[in-house]
Amino acid sequence: MGLLEESLDDNVLTTKVDWLLNWARLNSIWPMTFGLACCAIEMMAVGAAHHDLDRFGAGAFRASPRQADLMIVAGTVNYKMGERVKRLYDQMPFPKYVIAMGACATGGGPYFKYGYSVMKGVDRIIPVDVYIAGCPPRPEALLEGLMKLQEKIKRTPVVRRPANTI
Amino acid sequence: MELQAIYDTLTAAKVAGLLGCDEPRPSNKKEKDPGRSGLPFLMVDPAEIVPLLTACRDMPLLQFDLLIDLSAADPAADGEDLWVLIQLLSLKHRHRLAIKACLPKSALIMSSATAVYRAANWHERECSEMFGITFEGHPDPRKILLPDDWDGYPLRKDYEFPTEYHGISCE
Amino acid sequence: MKGHEPSYSMEERRTLPSGEEEFFFDVKTSDLEVNMGPQHPATHGVMRVLIRCDGELVTGAQAHLGYLHRCAEKIGENVEWLQYLPYTDRYDYLAAMNNNLGYSMAVEALMPGFEVPRRAVMLRTICVELNRIASHLVAYGTYGLDIGAITPFLYAFREREWIQALFEKICGARLTYSYIRIGGVFNDAPPGWLTEVGHFCDVFEEKWKEYRDLLALNHIFIKRTANVGVIPKDMAIDFGLTGPMLRGSGVDFDLRRDIPYMAYGEAHEAGAFDVPVGEGEKGELGDCWDRFSVRVQEMMESIKLVRWCLEMIEDGPIIGDVPKVLKVPPGEAYVGIENPRGELGHYVHSDGGKIAVRCRVRGPSFTNLAVIEELMVGTLLADSVAIIGSTDIVVGETDR
Repeated sequence: MGLLEESLDDNVLTTKVDWLLNWARLNSIWPMTFGLACCAIEMMAVGAAHHDLDRFGAGAFRASPRQADLMIVAGTVNYKMGERVKRLYDQMPFPKYVIAMGACATGGGPYFKYGYSVMKGVDRIIPVDVYIAGCPPRPEALLEGLMKLQEKIKRTPVVRRPANTI
Repeated sequence: MELQAIYDTLTAAKVAGLLGCDEPRPSNKKEKDPGRSGLPFLMVDPAEIVPLLTACRDMPLLQFDLLIDLSAADPAADGEDLWVLIQLLSLKHRHRLAIKACLPKSALIMSSATAVYRAANWHERECSEMFGITFEGHPDPRKILLPDDWDGYPLRKDYEFPTEYHGISCE
Repeated sequence: MKGHEPSYSMEERRTLPSGEEEFFFDVKTSDLEVNMGPQHPATHGVMRVLIRCDGELVTGAQAHLGYLHRCAEKIGENVEWLQYLPYTDRYDYLAAMNNNLGYSMAVEALMPGFEVPRRAVMLRTICVELNRIASHLVAYGTYGLDIGAITPFLYAFREREWIQALFEKICGARLTYSYIRIGGVFNDAPPGWLTEVGHFCDVFEEKWKEYRDLLALNHIFIKRTANVGVIPKDMAIDFGLTGPMLRGSGVDFDLRRDIPYMAYGEAHEAGAFDVPVGEGEKGELGDCWDRFSVRVQEMMESIKLVRWCLEMIEDGPIIGDVPKVLKVPPGEAYVGIENPRGELGHYVHSDGGKIAVRCRVRGPSFTNLAVIEELMVGTLLADSVAIIGSTDIVVGETDR
């Protein structure tokens, strides 16, 4: 079999499997129902009829982290909430993605200087894939963030993943 | 009813703890008085807050049945007093009353108003974690907004911002 | 969290005539503590309620707040008067115009003899009332979602998008406006804007009837909300409830009418609006349905107010004489206004400088939420969602 596997290594077949898996993944990103603050209202607006997140296959908001692929951190994270965010992230199954929506989740936003209880960016506790600017970002910005995440997923190797990653 | 009339009604009923009215006054440049604008407050003694609130609620002429707000203020870092501020509202007479009580920073203890208005419960919890005031007789004296292990009283003027919380840098 | 530990002990045994043996068990159960939130779709944000239940019956509830504490009051003591305005947008993010107004009015109360121009008052009223409709539309839609009706949410957001587009035209933002400034408003209505608002009112009036029939008069909805979470009158007053929560319990009180500010006194004299009060139409007075119904009816009253303002508006300046770097005369004031959720109060204290000494925010959601700890006891677990939804809280405001 050794001969065949070696010849498969650079074969078109494995890239096709990658493409297929990624295609399936990026068109069915299920986000978690996880509104924190003002941005959550814009996230709701994205889910509603006018902007319709379902067009990108990401409209199935799941209430349980066990069923979700994507965590949209929509709003300010403070220290009390931070440990919950971490726990929710840990409960999500792989592969999982995080979008930091808005200035607060990206880096503390307007609460950076005098907000004694505000965490200065959610990336201090969990890894973030896409950051979206704005306070709050427009629904179109969230849609663009989602498309950026889809581009990222498209480039992810699945079959020929380096050994030390999950 | 205006504040002065409320004050007179309370004095006539011999309610304890009244200290006067803090009314707006125009500025006076000769006497270097910057003046005071805004709305009037009733000054009271914090030790007598419970009988006073009971009188405000029960006297038919006043009938302040809603406790709108209970909070505090730290007017100066080197000052000696904290202010406890209470806002009352009467549904029947459609008037408001703003109460101010000066509490010395050396002894931040006053009795809880929860026996008079149940609305005071959460307001007092917030006030006590933000300013360090102890409300005697409060049924549930836990922190409400901050984590249980939070140090310091954030709304005091001498509060120092934390640099680290549970290993997460705050800067 | 305590586990469910049934232990069976054989109490009695008897032999039936057929020869079979029959056992009687004493089934011991323990209370179960259910943790609801902070990530829970029905808590309207990040509130956490610890519910203790005996089977389906709730025997105790404890609300835990602070998962969105953003230090608004501390920031108010550290930034300049005008710089604080964007922060007011963010504690009650569903009714940002109302918050701007409350703060601006509190600061204006510190400036003796200052009067807001007439056109600014009218523009303020139009925006505040439109924002009240937008906020109630979210309350309407999400309450449906909580109870299991998804369609009303989609309809409600359709009209809300229109209101947000109107706001975007006048101030450039969809959610956090900072439109109402200290002294007036910062931008005049663009050409054709007032006509479009009038058009919106006409369309919304038709849609409103649809909304009422779709959810408020829906039989399943009435079954879920009538006679659930009843707040009697005296309990509502004792807990200091304000806004639709108070009116839902049958107390006829609205700050706009009873302690009038801006142009509301004039509007009420002209018969421009009424105050809807709960009547116990579908169940006991003060139940979830009454509170919901008050909100639905208030949307229509807001439309009437907007129409009255559109008639009364006249040309003129839109902002009074306020310097760029504002120094407020020393003094203190507490001003409360009617927010979609109740009385929004601001206590501001100035020492004559550019920065406030104390800026206290009295959020209506904070006080209104306190009632659930008592209200939920004795109800069924499934009703707890209906009760939390009927309080219509915004967590940004309970925690500030």
